[in-house]
Amino acid sequence: MAPTIKSYTVLPLNIPRTPAFPKTTTHAIYLQPHAPKILTEEDSRSLFLVNIPIDSTPAHIRGIIGDLLGAAGRVEDVHFEGEKRKPIPSTDVVAVGSSNKKRKRGHEDSSIEFDEALPEVWDRPLHRSGSTAIVVFVDAKSAEAVLKAIRKIHKSGKTNKFPTWGAGIESKVPQLGSSRYINHHELRFPDVHTLQMNVDAYMTVFNSKEEQKKREDARKRNMPDEDGFVTVTRGGRTGPARREDVEEKRIEMEAREEKKRKELEGKGFYRFQVREKRKQEQGELIKQFEEDKRRIEKLREIRGRKGKV
Amino acid sequence: MSPASPKRRKLDHKPVDKVPNDQDHDDEASDNASSIEEYAPVSKTRPAQAQSKSKHTGNDGEAALYSGGLFKSSAFKFQVDYLLEDSRPNYEKVFAKANETLSKLKSLIESIDSRKPLSVTEATKSLQKLHKITIPFPSPKPDKDAAYKFSYEKPSNINVVGSYPLRTISKVVDAEYLPSIDMVVIMPASILQEKDYLNYRYFYKRAYYLACIAAGLLEAIQDEFIIKFRYLNDNDLHPILCLTSKPAEGKAHSRYEINIIPAAPANFFSKSKLLPSKNSVRPKDGAEDAPLPATPFYNSSLFSDANYEPYLQVLHSATKQSEAFRDAVVLGRIWLHKRNLGGSLSRGGFGNFEWASLMALLLKGGGPKGHSVLSPGYSSYQMFKAMLQFIATGDMANKPFMYDCGDVNISKSDAPVFFDGPRGHNLLYKMTAWSYALLRDEAQISLEMLSNETFDQFEATFVLNVSESLQRYDCVLRVPMSKRTPASSTDCDHFSPTAMHARRIFSVLSEGLMDRVKLIQVATSAPRKWSTKSSVPTLEEPILVSFVFDPATVDRAVDHGPSADEKSKAAKFQKFWGDKAELRRFKDGSILETLVWNSRTTYSIFNEIVTYLISRHFGSEISEEMIFIGDSFSKLVPFSDSGSKAFDNLKQAYLSFEKDIRDLEGLPLQLRQLSAIDPQLRGSSTLPPIFGSSTPLKTPANVLIQFEGSGRWPDDVVAIQRTKIAFLLKIGAQLQEANDAIDTRVGLENEESKFQNCAFLDVRYDSGAIFRLRIHHDREQTLLEHILKDKYTDSRTREDAILALSSYKRTFIQLPLLTQSISTHCTRFPLLSPTIRLVKLWFDHHMLSAHINDELIELIVSRMFMLPYPWRVPSSVMAGFLRTLMFIERWDWRHQPLVVDFTGTMTNKDVASANTRLEAWRKLDPGMNRTVVFAASNHDVTGVAFTDQGPSKVGASRMTSLASSAYRLAKDKGLSLDPRSLFVTSTSDYDFVIQVSPKFSADRKKQAASTGKYKNLVVQSEGSFEGVGYDPTQAFISELKGAYTSSVVFFHGAGAVLHIGGLWNPQTVSARPFKINLAYATKVSDGQEEAEPENVEIDKSAILSEIARLGGELISKIEVNR
Repeated sequence: MAPTIKSYTVLPLNIPRTPAFPKTTTHAIYLQPHAPKILTEEDSRSLFLVNIPIDSTPAHIRGIIGDLLGAAGRVEDVHFEGEKRKPIPSTDVVAVGSSNKKRKRGHEDSSIEFDEALPEVWDRPLHRSGSTAIVVFVDAKSAEAVLKAIRKIHKSGKTNKFPTWGAGIESKVPQLGSSRYINHHELRFPDVHTLQMNVDAYMTVFNSKEEQKKREDARKRNMPDEDGFVTVTRGGRTGPARREDVEEKRIEMEAREEKKRKELEGKGFYRFQVREKRKQEQGELIKQFEEDKRRIEKLREIRGRKGKV
Repeated sequence: MSPASPKRRKLDHKPVDKVPNDQDHDDEASDNASSIEEYAPVSKTRPAQAQSKSKHTGNDGEAALYSGGLFKSSAFKFQVDYLLEDSRPNYEKVFAKANETLSKLKSLIESIDSRKPLSVTEATKSLQKLHKITIPFPSPKPDKDAAYKFSYEKPSNINVVGSYPLRTISKVVDAEYLPSIDMVVIMPASILQEKDYLNYRYFYKRAYYLACIAAGLLEAIQDEFIIKFRYLNDNDLHPILCLTSKPAEGKAHSRYEINIIPAAPANFFSKSKLLPSKNSVRPKDGAEDAPLPATPFYNSSLFSDANYEPYLQVLHSATKQSEAFRDAVVLGRIWLHKRNLGGSLSRGGFGNFEWASLMALLLKGGGPKGHSVLSPGYSSYQMFKAMLQFIATGDMANKPFMYDCGDVNISKSDAPVFFDGPRGHNLLYKMTAWSYALLRDEAQISLEMLSNETFDQFEATFVLNVSESLQRYDCVLRVPMSKRTPASSTDCDHFSPTAMHARRIFSVLSEGLMDRVKLIQVATSAPRKWSTKSSVPTLEEPILVSFVFDPATVDRAVDHGPSADEKSKAAKFQKFWGDKAELRRFKDGSILETLVWNSRTTYSIFNEIVTYLISRHFGSEISEEMIFIGDSFSKLVPFSDSGSKAFDNLKQAYLSFEKDIRDLEGLPLQLRQLSAIDPQLRGSSTLPPIFGSSTPLKTPANVLIQFEGSGRWPDDVVAIQRTKIAFLLKIGAQLQEANDAIDTRVGLENEESKFQNCAFLDVRYDSGAIFRLRIHHDREQTLLEHILKDKYTDSRTREDAILALSSYKRTFIQLPLLTQSISTHCTRFPLLSPTIRLVKLWFDHHMLSAHINDELIELIVSRMFMLPYPWRVPSSVMAGFLRTLMFIERWDWRHQPLVVDFTGTMTNKDVASANTRLEAWRKLDPGMNRTVVFAASNHDVTGVAFTDQGPSKVGASRMTSLASSAYRLAKDKGLSLDPRSLFVTSTSDYDFVIQVSPKFSADRKKQAASTGKYKNLVVQSEGSFEGVGYDPTQAFISELKGAYTSSVVFFHGAGAVLHIGGLWNPQTVSARPFKINLAYATKVSDGQEEAEPENVEIDKSAILSEIARLGGELISKIEVNR
């Protein structure tokens, strides 16, 4: 297999056979140094991984890095595509029950985190096929060492030297298969207490945010900005009206006007209205006629093609 | 010849067609008779056609108004125009040499030598010896020592009649038959005697005459034609000679038949002696004094032979009288053909000739005070419809229709009479009680659908094949021919033994089955052609009896007969039913003759009755050999016998659940309504909701709860979803507190989307009923729409919101409406529920559950019940199922919307707007990447409520192709169809198949009833909720779909499936340049080791091994087909 593609280094992983698919296969991951558009401090010691297997976990990635570099632990963190970039407890994926709750509480004060998560219902995440991940190492050297190690194996041509997917971490991650679904079935019914706490926590944050927003709006209404202008905000003096209320009112008004107009027209107040109406009706009839003709001709053509009369 | 020419011009321009096999005798006026060569196909341009064209191209405004009035709608008119145009055969091609042949035949026949009078024996011998021809005498055969003699003389006239000279052959009708030309040979009066009408003498002479013609022609034309005898209209009194042109090389399409029909001279036999009430076949042992029974069939058969010319004149003058007459005749012919009605005895005795003659007569009279029923100014469609009206309304069997005649005495019978006074002929003499009932029924249905303003009924009227037995009828019975000769009856009329047998079966069954059936049809097979050398073949084929049930009464277990006081009636009842009739006293004190049937299901009661009747009246050897066809479909419905009860039970449980909720007092908001949204609550889930205290419902039944509006809800979608959790927790706690028999749990769902409903409440009763409650808050829709309107929404949120909005509309708005409609109609139509369930099973077996969702299936099946035309509402699972298959097969979802009108309130504007919407979708998205199927209903004119998430084009095409192969199989097999063969799963079409381990896919049928199935697994949910809603295979499948959205299309059934099929998306298979956001696993393409590799391709084996890892012990094997 080619060692590189474009700027990426190819890492073919050996995939062990399974009873249902008794065939040894490989799965290629493409790696390159992480170079995002918005730079961060971590970039120099991060690798960007493309095409990771759907069942990847940090433990898997760590296992592979460990395999390549001889010892694990140099990985500081793994971020998967689509994951919220919030600090993940560095030791392992923990997503179950009580630990979750703690995490939530920790967030309460930082009130800006609006998207309070519900209790996790899967014991381990699943990724979409062909997705990406970022591995953050403790130092830039490790990142380079990984790429170097891969190149070395490519050169030696010993494909069996490539890391094996999931080797040695069986006990560290939840099992797939039926036990995954049993766990899921169990997790989706959290106990009442947990749920109640979760909702309460969320609502507290939500309410305080609403409150804050309201205060903000009220403040804006009273405060001239640098140029001395006062921002006009919705709601006037009595307090911000809900945008929807305004909308509703508007629709109501429009409907009323429309009705009025219709009433006048419908009566055929002027003779020209009656005449026009009749003309319009006739026009519609003709339009319908043309329309039908076109449609039937088309249908006929299609049917003719299919050999149905 | 001069009078002929103006007439012919009239003929030429008429775009009429059709009629093959059933000879009509409509034809040219006799003055054309001598000029056969003049029938040469005339130029194809027909003035009338051009005229009608100009009508709708020239002045559209006028045409629009015009067609709106004279036709049902302009669309209907166009389709009729095209139909007439399409059905015209190419005369030049098909009948290239016909005229030449006809005049040749004519001169050949005219040159046949006369034969001297011979006795019966001599005549038979001489033809046998010299020409090896067997005279096709009707039975009973002539007496050997009969006094009369047979002779042959040159015919007094030879005439071409029927559809050929009139240019009325139709491709649509005649595709199945060879086009035919009828040639009438009129026997000279000199060889007949006036008394010949008695005792078959005319028919014997006719047979001899025919045999002589055959003898005269045989030598001369046998290189060109295959010459055989045949019965005209299956009537064994009317043998004719049938010449089939031998296929010329490379000219298969130009084959046709020529029928040579001997006929009697007009006005030779006395009209009054051949009235339907007269006897013309004297019984041999005749007691002189007794009044002789009438022989209407014999008389009419004879008289029809003398009536070719008079009717010809009638038809001819009708064509002159009304411009639209010919088109109306053609429409009638097509209509009859699609219903398999024809002039022959085996097809009911009402064919093209009868249609045309009846219409011609009604143009002249038949109405009150001598007015005509039809007006010459009618358009062809109006005339067609008025004909249907005439057939549908009057009952000509009970009240014979007397056309322009004085006091003619018609003997009473159950067959219809249309007595044409001037010609002294009963036009409907070939019809039987049952064929007349069928004709009227068809006319009534057609009238009904033509008065439907909302939907276009053109296809149902003129295109769909109505007569397919298994779709038309609910049960078909094969009865072997009786070997016993029927007890000699007093009836002298001429009937073949088969016809006799059929009549008796009909009368026994219709008396015995009473109102259980709406229609009984008896079909005998049609006699074939036979060689001139052999004698008439005898028929031994079984009789087919078909039934249409009345679903309300067919399974009645007890029949009440007459009261014991009515002596004579009771005696008759006892005689008919034998031991089965017993006297019973009923609660109201009445004592009635009673029949009690022991079977349980619809079909078994029906079978029991029919078997009893046949064995009582025809002997057990016949009843034992009977075969019932039709019940095997209803047996395929899972739990067909106990299913409906299970649905009722769940509905009861739902009502008490609703009451429990309403009784709760401490709810924070006031309850507005509870609505069911589950297939189990609308009688349409494949498996019935069987539950018990130890076996809780496996799948909770979904229910929505809605509260009165309140300002206390947060004004934010996500916050609303979270607030629902708090609500549910509260409802759960209160329910548990209020009722000890209730247990609840709150579950989470839609974890991947923050806008969608995120929680539900499972409520379990000790009885085993389980409901899944979700909260409906109508503000969600507005809020979601705001998110979509907001310019600053990022694309991901927008996508999320679109999905959430569509799911909201489906779950909270459309599903309650659909559930209500379906459940109402399941009560109204008892067969709707089992049919839906069987169709769902079919989709399930063909692994289409992923693509065609429950709701779409329900809409499709409902369509068959709401708009059943050209049939009536299905009254058996078989009919419902097969018609649905046919509908799917024909449904061109690319161009046609499905429109279901549950309430009958839609208008043609609504339907037109559905069409317009579909066209707009197609214009917007011609590749059909988004919405593929358009299924509107009166609840949802947008048409996408249940289809915007699928089926995809692949899924929909697969549906169509599976339906069409199933339908074809059903059509080919006909009555020998094994319904199970339609349900066989085929996995060979998929790229790979995931086999689910048997442990997880155990027998589906058991699944509903068993509970302990997952006991060995550690499902640690609260005690008795164990296993409820747990479905690992479906969870696995939905994860697969999420992971491989763009690379694999999965196919699978519902519930615990055996296989999951997969197709690689063809767009992903080819190699493409590497980039990071390809949405599937790739590998570096092979074959470019040398150069710098740039391309990657889908890594199938890596994906399959991922699937295997994810599935773990859930799956036993992945089979790769290619």
